[in-house]
Amino acid sequence: MQGSRVAIVGVGETEFVRASPRSLLEMTVDASLQAIADAGLQPGDIDGFVCNRNSHSADELAFALGIDRRPFSAVTDTVGGTATAGQALVLAQLAIEAGLASYVLVPYGFQATRPGGPYGFHSREPLKADLEMPVGYFGQPSYFAAMANRYAYEHGMTEEELASVAITFRTWATLTPTAQKREPMDLDGYRKSPMISTPFRAADCCLMTDAGSAYVVTSVERARDLPHPPAVVAGVGMDTNRWPQSVVFTQNPDILDFPGRRSAADAFAMAGVGPGDLDLAQIYDGFSISAIVQAEMLGLCERGQGARFFHAGYAMPGGRMPVNTGGGHMSGGYLPGITLLTEGVRQLRGIRGAAQVPDARLCAVTGLGGNSHSTTILARG
Amino acid sequence: MGIPVFPPRLESDLMKPFYEGLEAGELRLTADAETGDWIWYPPEIVPGRPHARLEWRPVSPLGTVYTFTTVVRSLLPGDHKAAVPFTVVLFESDDAPGARVPGLLVNLEGREPACGMRVRLCPVRAGDHVVAGFEPA
Repeated sequence: MQGSRVAIVGVGETEFVRASPRSLLEMTVDASLQAIADAGLQPGDIDGFVCNRNSHSADELAFALGIDRRPFSAVTDTVGGTATAGQALVLAQLAIEAGLASYVLVPYGFQATRPGGPYGFHSREPLKADLEMPVGYFGQPSYFAAMANRYAYEHGMTEEELASVAITFRTWATLTPTAQKREPMDLDGYRKSPMISTPFRAADCCLMTDAGSAYVVTSVERARDLPHPPAVVAGVGMDTNRWPQSVVFTQNPDILDFPGRRSAADAFAMAGVGPGDLDLAQIYDGFSISAIVQAEMLGLCERGQGARFFHAGYAMPGGRMPVNTGGGHMSGGYLPGITLLTEGVRQLRGIRGAAQVPDARLCAVTGLGGNSHSTTILARG
Repeated sequence: MGIPVFPPRLESDLMKPFYEGLEAGELRLTADAETGDWIWYPPEIVPGRPHARLEWRPVSPLGTVYTFTTVVRSLLPGDHKAAVPFTVVLFESDDAPGARVPGLLVNLEGREPACGMRVRLCPVRAGDHVVAGFEPA
């Protein structure tokens, strides 16, 4: 697969709220219609779908959108941000380059507050139910908190350094009218955030969000005729490790070893650029430790220096490498991966107002799904 | 420190030897019966060796804390507010490095949990069942 063949030409989102009275389908359809309109298209122009295995299927969505034909449809089989911010783009490009579709819609909806919430799929794992839940080791905050303690053991990490991740993303959120958590937060504010699972406070964790989000992909040739400057998909890299979800959080020999180095290397190679060429990055922040480790894997700093990278202020507004300019998942809203991608698109369009990174031309977007990882390089077209 | 009471689901017999071992004061893990490699957690199929047979073997109760977290807000289904805080560790037996067993860290007597801490098996009774627990060695 070659880079710079397809582009994101339309994006849409519903309001990020903790508990929405709207149905998942309603929010997903609303976001999809926004993305289609943003691309200057009509629903009937959509001839491809890349759906998510944890969201609605193409037939349900097409029916709701009033679309009669769907010559191409596919479902991503990774979880978390890997699916929406990486794998969906790969499938969309394959379909477009094969001539199977011209305009591919990637719709996604998420209801963190539905019964079972984001922890439900873990509780269905028999090994977790037999070995982990009886000792209270349950839920992503505890899994990633244990990673953070291991990281501190191996590399050193002060409370101030850990806190700087949440403070950085919150600072960006204060500049973002659509962000879910916009009240300013300094170190004192961070320390008032309730402890969840040491060393994580609530501020170290992604938000609980109900919302829909969607984007439209087409060829770079067709993109030139559409209303907005295209966000060209210059490179995509994906990788996995061998461990299924049932054991990845305990048995991976190095539990901090997300499969992110290979995905970053592949994406940079496809795009023909390196980390030093980036103007900004959107890094999957399910938890602060996730952003710390992936900043290293993306090449923004050396291994073991991720926490100090954030503490130095490099990722803040005005910093040398702005990260999560919409507040990320920890302060902006948690629709895994997809809202990091759409934020990257808006930055490249230059429409982010107070949060705009000056002359943003090249943006990396990462997605993490526990045992899978994606890196996408977006370029202003 | 509290103790969560959440019985293992044990929908199949797969993990019963683990709990029988704890009742007997022993830590038992699964190994490939032919190669002796530790295969943990016990999968339905040994990776890459679908016809291999697993067997349970006792391991040293002494080992090291790979990592830990102290749970202040339990996310277990149900009301577990009374149980918090409790500290969970991923334990590696000296006999089976890399095969990590989740368990409660107990009897700290003022010591702080830490990666690399030397600990020994100390099964913990939680209601009607016993779970993996470890205490400073």
